Amino acid sequence: MKFILRMFVIILPIALISFFYLYINDDDYYPGADYRNYNLPQFELNELYSQSPISNKDIQGTYLINVWASWCITCRVEHGFLVKLSNKNIPIMGINYKDDRDDAINWINKFGDPYKLIIHDFKGSLALDMGVTGAPETFLVSNGEVLVHYRGEVNTMIWQDVFTPVINKYELFK
Amino acid sequence: MIKKLCLVILLSCNFLFADSLYEFTNLENEKRFYNLIKEIRCPKCTSGSLASSNAPVSEDIKLKIVELIKEGKSDSEIKKYIVNRFGNEVLYDPGFDKGTYFLWIAPISILLLALTTFFFRRKI
Repeated sequence: MKFILRMFVIILPIALISFFYLYINDDDYYPGADYRNYNLPQFELNELYSQSPISNKDIQGTYLINVWASWCITCRVEHGFLVKLSNKNIPIMGINYKDDRDDAINWINKFGDPYKLIIHDFKGSLALDMGVTGAPETFLVSNGEVLVHYRGEVNTMIWQDVFTPVINKYELFK
Repeated sequence: MIKKLCLVILLSCNFLFADSLYEFTNLENEKRFYNLIKEIRCPKCTSGSLASSNAPVSEDIKLKIVELIKEGKSDSEIKKYIVNRFGNEVLYDPGFDKGTYFLWIAPISILLLALTTFFFRRKI
């Protein structure tokens, strides 16, 4: 009996340490990243430049969705990397989040346009439906299904750590 | 004359601004709303409920909750709507599932273990 109790003193800490070791090293967890798959919500909004109506059927295939605004400082930091991505032929759709139309167009004219098209979400209704908490946020979408949702600035490191594994897994952008 | 006019304007200001921010059809729904925003965390904040936050996204969610209550959605449906978009972390009272079972079971099992060990030792 005593032997069992003594063994317990050793086994319990080992069990706890190994549990937390496995918990911390969980590969699925990355701060800011969300890998739950769900369908892109239905929306009907206007395009930023032409102000023509735009809905789900206008954006097909595999693409990134980037939520940005001219008032968002981190979006300015992120912008250079998005331009690089678009030069590598990765299609990016923009969601202009709670922004004045003129400010947004000025911003794009000043810093360049990496976007295939920009959805003007003035009230943030589509963004709320997609679980956006602020700007910038980036989604990887394939055939109407969201595969990755990243909250925060996308840069080379985040692209390597968060997006590339999923892109390789599903063999996207080929 | 002007003094009186100023007084009238001043006094009527109270009524001008006495309109409530969120409108409900009945008291029951209003109570539900104020309970819900205490139970849901603001996704932009480290730890603060929707009720305590005026971040833009919290304001949006609160307006959405008002809208969903108007549509006749139940509390659990509203929570599900928000969890689907912002993840399990937005609930202050997480349910019992495979991600949280350890948190619920661990304290009780450790206590039971400690008690049994304690009583065992005395008998030896």
